[in-house]
Amino acid sequence: MPPALVVAGKDLRQRLRDRSAIVIGVVAPLVIAAVMSLAFKGAEQFHFSLGVVDADHGPVAAGMIRSLQSPGVRSVLDVRAEPSAAAASAAIRSRRIQAALVIPAGLSASVGGARPVSPTVLTSVNNALAGSVTESIVGSFVAQLNADRLSVATALAAGAPPGAAARLQAEAARLTIPEQLVDRPLGARPIRVISYYSPAMAIFFVLFLISYTSRSFFVDRSQGMVERMRAAPIRPLDILVGKALSVFVFGLVSLVVVAGLTTVLFGAYWGSPLAVGAVCVAMTISIVCLTGLVIALARTQRQAEGIAGALVFALALLGGNFVFVSASPDIMRTLSLFTPNGWAMRAFTDLSTGGGGLGTAALPVAAILGFSAVVAVIAGLLGRRAVTA
Amino acid sequence: MTAVAVAVASLRRVVRDRTALFFMIALPLVVILIIGATVRGFSTFRVGVVDEGAGRTGTELVAALQAAPDLRVRHYPSVGAASRAVARGEVSTAVVLPRGMDTDLRAGRTVAVPVLAERANSTQQAAAAAVAPVLAAQGARIQAALFATSAGAGSVDQNLERAGRLQATLTQVTVASRTAESRAQTLPEGFSYSAPTMLVLFVFLNALTGGTLIIENRRLGMYERMRAAPLGPATIIAGEALGFVVIALVQSVIIVATGAVVFGVSWGNWPAAVALIVTWAVVGAGAGMVSGTVFRTPEQATAIGPALGMALAMLGGCMWPLSIVNSVMRQVGHAAPQAWAVDAWTALLARGGTLGTILPQLAVLAGFAAVLLTLATLRMNRVIR
Amino acid sequence: MIQERAQAAVAVRAGAPPPPVLVCAGLTKSFGGRPAADGISLAVAAGEVYGLLGPNGAGKTTTIRMVCGLLEPDAGSVTIQGRPVGADRSVKALIGYVPQEIALYPDLTGRENLMFLGRLYRLHGPLLAQRVAAALDVTDLAERCDERVDSYSGGMKRRLNIAAGLVNQPALLVLDEPTVGVDPQSRHSILERVKAFAAAGMSVLYTTHYMEEAERVCDRVGIIDRGRLIAEGTRRELVSRLGERDRIDLVVSGDAGRLAAACREVPGVDEAAAADGRVHLVTADGRRVLPAVLEKAEAAGVPVGSVEIAEADLEAVFLHLTGTALRE
Repeated sequence: MPPALVVAGKDLRQRLRDRSAIVIGVVAPLVIAAVMSLAFKGAEQFHFSLGVVDADHGPVAAGMIRSLQSPGVRSVLDVRAEPSAAAASAAIRSRRIQAALVIPAGLSASVGGARPVSPTVLTSVNNALAGSVTESIVGSFVAQLNADRLSVATALAAGAPPGAAARLQAEAARLTIPEQLVDRPLGARPIRVISYYSPAMAIFFVLFLISYTSRSFFVDRSQGMVERMRAAPIRPLDILVGKALSVFVFGLVSLVVVAGLTTVLFGAYWGSPLAVGAVCVAMTISIVCLTGLVIALARTQRQAEGIAGALVFALALLGGNFVFVSASPDIMRTLSLFTPNGWAMRAFTDLSTGGGGLGTAALPVAAILGFSAVVAVIAGLLGRRAVTA
Repeated sequence: MTAVAVAVASLRRVVRDRTALFFMIALPLVVILIIGATVRGFSTFRVGVVDEGAGRTGTELVAALQAAPDLRVRHYPSVGAASRAVARGEVSTAVVLPRGMDTDLRAGRTVAVPVLAERANSTQQAAAAAVAPVLAAQGARIQAALFATSAGAGSVDQNLERAGRLQATLTQVTVASRTAESRAQTLPEGFSYSAPTMLVLFVFLNALTGGTLIIENRRLGMYERMRAAPLGPATIIAGEALGFVVIALVQSVIIVATGAVVFGVSWGNWPAAVALIVTWAVVGAGAGMVSGTVFRTPEQATAIGPALGMALAMLGGCMWPLSIVNSVMRQVGHAAPQAWAVDAWTALLARGGTLGTILPQLAVLAGFAAVLLTLATLRMNRVIR
Repeated sequence: MIQERAQAAVAVRAGAPPPPVLVCAGLTKSFGGRPAADGISLAVAAGEVYGLLGPNGAGKTTTIRMVCGLLEPDAGSVTIQGRPVGADRSVKALIGYVPQEIALYPDLTGRENLMFLGRLYRLHGPLLAQRVAAALDVTDLAERCDERVDSYSGGMKRRLNIAAGLVNQPALLVLDEPTVGVDPQSRHSILERVKAFAAAGMSVLYTTHYMEEAERVCDRVGIIDRGRLIAEGTRRELVSRLGERDRIDLVVSGDAGRLAAACREVPGVDEAAAADGRVHLVTADGRRVLPAVLEKAEAAGVPVGSVEIAEADLEAVFLHLTGTALRE
């Protein structure tokens, strides 16, 4: 067996024997993915219950309620009748509904006159969005009423005879606003919490391999193990390649295992397997190179732990393993593209939402490999002494 | 007092260890900064806009969208870029202003304004619904101008101007809104959200990894040595506990002070805040000592500690408000002490609570602390003999 | 296999002097301008135990690392069985290296450690298993070889450390202070084993700063100080250089350094040095100078606990050659 494989095999055996390595590589990301999947089960899509108090019973109220049940918003809210504004308020406080619409008596009758009455939305500070979505939907319906009233007023102001008001009103009621929103489907799956955080946590915990490996390297060295290996008829390069290989295999296996288990257990969708595999391979290569960098930079075990710890958390924070980087300010999204895990997260986001295969993954994979190459060169320049000294 | 000497030894080791200081101070502050800057938008939608050459009406519409209080607008150069942004979740939806929109509208043609949203995706639909009234308000003027012109009075441009004036003065059918529930159940957004939650997360997590101090003491035979000196187990345990509490307090004070000074976080009623910080430090000390006696190697503590700390923090509502998860998980989450601490901070920061308001949470946390410290004492007693 | 080699060694001994297994010629190495090894030349024959004796920091480990090809000499050369150590990695397979530290993985079992190292020497299959078993056997570890190393006692770890150097059945076994921190019983068993390896035909290069060890196991001793090999020979040869002299050891409870300085003024005392609460003297006639020495001690106010007068040994040789005690 080539010496590099011997070294890699020994490293992997040690890693497997150490339960904390398995906890970090596989159990921890799974536990956190499980917590996320349970926490957001049924709570992920925006949806609320809207109470409606209809004291008007007129055609305008009927139209308003119909607009709240139109196909576009049916997925957003469900309508529940409430007997009175007081009952609706109580229902909001007890969290049975998240917002309510009170349609006052006489709304239909007042719309044609100069002093129309207004419907009221009851809101809660705990679900401000439900209130504002209700206001928006009712607002769109009311906009047509206002547009019709404005049309008559404008025509009269422009010089139409005042006697024609009744006729104009009848004509205006048949108008529709000439700008209409139309849905255009994206052909993309929605981004889901579990599909984002499964890779995010898998990568975060695989990043710990950097700490783990660099630490064990310095422990080995201080125990004279590196020296003992070098006394054997092998090249120093064999030791390095062996270590790198073991990091690669362990990292890749834990990413793939977490990908498989989160898919099967929690319904995460990472993307097409081939593309996911390519991103995982690239990501693991970058971890190998970063490990080399830490070993090259550090001189002692303590330093290695410090540098690796700071590096892992800096990368995880910038790359979006903790926060949903898409929703971050522009500067965060730009910064994330200076990290390999940031690119990997972008790749997984695109793969899990937009579908797509290797083509989608190509740019992120190239970016991660480029990053790895730069890191490898720096590590190589700095790190000649690490093995030979 | 000899327990103090034991505590001081622990403290000194932590202060000398730059890695430990990084995880104790620098990391929490950076996370507060990043999460504070990122986690906004529980009450607004991010909306993308693609202007394909819509002309004046388009420009006016963008201005109106920007002025809407519940929308935040981002521009994209093409429909493709906007679609990707929606798919990635950078924006909840995107509006495409078609080429020639202005000309078409003036010529009396109805213009379809595409909004990038999947029927099945309620978040995208809700965002689209929020865009609709802004569009309708503009459309109303155009409808009115065209109607007046067709009724034989004035040109389209004249009537548009007229309609704009009238829209401002005419009594409209409005949609009023009234708050029916003002007891906030979540922390305010921004740093007031991230600082208290991350304080809770990191004090606990740090204590768990701090268990390595005890493990190393065990390995180095320090407890043997201490017991060779005339120190009883009670003194040693008290000293270690004191060390953990002091470390947690120092960490808390730095985070609270930086939060207040740099991030402008108001920590609420101060006697209540102090009581909460101290209680939480004691809970952390208990957890840290349990970690130091349950884990066998420093590697286990540094590996499993952070994972456990994060999982509990997620369950307990440090990473997202528990009000947005389903009710089962809300209840399960309260098995973690973090949930009670975050509840107490919410009462202080979001509802102006006082010591009296958070007494129930403090009592539960004290219970957690008592259980953890008892467990730790029992384990320590066995470990140091 | 060990027996075969022993027979060969016996056969060679009976005839002409055997060609040396290890030859070091003018080995020189300096670190930052400070010479750690300065023109060290030595040769070790098959079946011979060669001891490098010197205080800490004398250059023993530097020399050994050059012998094992772990450190490139600034000048000089190392050959094993006539083949130069350096460019050709395969020469390393002739060397068994036992570093001073316990260079073993604590989380692997004894057997796993040896299998791993054996594979680095390109052993595999039944031969590897057989070699590992032999190494474990000869170090009395066969019984517990499937337990993790971190469960071993200090002595067992030391023995396994040596076993790891035997897996490749080297022609030359290099032991760097193999008995540091070992209890007397384990030390005894380690020394007996080293003798047995040599009896079986293996060449052994052994560093130590324990004079008694060097006297017990080494056929020949090289005395190394400040990077230079200052004397070499069998124990008898080295001691005879001193002529008929005695060594006096005083165990004192005061300032040993002050007493050593005072003793240098006593006529008949050739060398005097202090080391860990003892004063070592070299003299032509111990009994004659002793009263004067004890007087000095009283005058200097350094109470003497015990006195030992012995024939000259390596300790005295070292003191004589360097003017310092071996253990400082």
